[in-house]
Amino acid sequence: MANSAAHTHEHHIVPTFTYVKTLVALIALMILTVAVSYVQIPAIGPISGTVANQVVALAIALVKAFLVVTIFMGVKFGTKLIKLWAILGFIWVLLIFGILGDYTTRKYEMAPSWDSQSDSALPRVAPDEPKMPRTNDLNVKIRD
Amino acid sequence: MSAISNPMDHGHDHGHEPGLHHQYEDMAQQSETYIVGMWTFLVSEVMFFGALFLIYTLYRWNYQLDFYIAHEHLDVKLGAINTTVLLFSSFTMVMAVQSAQLKNRLKVMGYLAVTVLCACTFLVIKYFEYKSKFADHLYPGAGFADDAVKAFGNHALENGHVAVNMNHAQLFYGLYFGMTGLHALHIIVGIGVIISLIRLWFNRANTVIHDYVPTEMVGLYWHFVDLVWIFLFPLFYLMPLPR
Repeated sequence: MANSAAHTHEHHIVPTFTYVKTLVALIALMILTVAVSYVQIPAIGPISGTVANQVVALAIALVKAFLVVTIFMGVKFGTKLIKLWAILGFIWVLLIFGILGDYTTRKYEMAPSWDSQSDSALPRVAPDEPKMPRTNDLNVKIRD
Repeated sequence: MSAISNPMDHGHDHGHEPGLHHQYEDMAQQSETYIVGMWTFLVSEVMFFGALFLIYTLYRWNYQLDFYIAHEHLDVKLGAINTTVLLFSSFTMVMAVQSAQLKNRLKVMGYLAVTVLCACTFLVIKYFEYKSKFADHLYPGAGFADDAVKAFGNHALENGHVAVNMNHAQLFYGLYFGMTGLHALHIIVGIGVIISLIRLWFNRANTVIHDYVPTEMVGLYWHFVDLVWIFLFPLFYLMPLPR
């Protein structure tokens, strides 16, 4: 393992120009993402304009992230083990986002009367919503 | 360091590498171990922020219009300036690491100092952003709705009625302060770590002058902080109009 590492990692000094180019690209992408946010992309088939705009913004963010990880964080010049570790981090994010699938399979339930009265920090009861179960339904003995 | 100060620590014959610790075969193995260790920490940070991004995604999906109207009060110009400042600080950080590889001590200290300056600039701009939100009472808590309606202006009204659900708008600001606040906390920690690194270089500490990897590890942390902001910026400042 030590030998394979030695080939790729030792004394690899990235020229300053590479870093300058990366910085220029990152700032150009930042300007692009701000500019695109002022353009309302029309709907493309089943994809609404909102989603199209959001996908473009996130795609630009992903390109920026890729540049930072590969060049600034040096993963491109690192060993295979370092590459694996960097990729694993982003696989974890995908796994976490798998939880969103749970919300599509069941009804989205709000806290009781979350929407009925907008300006109060106190517990609220909505007139239209089903009441909380009476204590006896829960088999709890009421204290005197 | 013990490898240098006490040659009796290791019986084998590669003590000629001054930055090499006795438990490693060679510098390549030591560097790889260091960097994989740092990445392990960063993956845990990815999971930490990942959960917050998940919460954001879920509420944004459900309350698109309320989030959109709430987000209009953020200043895109200041956000863009802050993004540029952070991207530039990542560049100066990477130049500090390159100078460490070339063993140019003064350049390392110079680039690190510029990085700290950028980090402080970021925090100062963030302070003014937070200050304007607090002035308009755009932080979650009792009494949010009355003041927020004034701050949102005509966008919040429809035929004279409040069209924004203030609970959802509060949720947006809760996420905004929570996520950018935790990010700012990482910047503050970064400033502390980079200043300690400058001190090590200033004192010609063995930890940093014989081996560039400790400097690189601080760099990895700093780039990660930049990485989080790369996603926070479009998600909070550049929301597309729901239509």
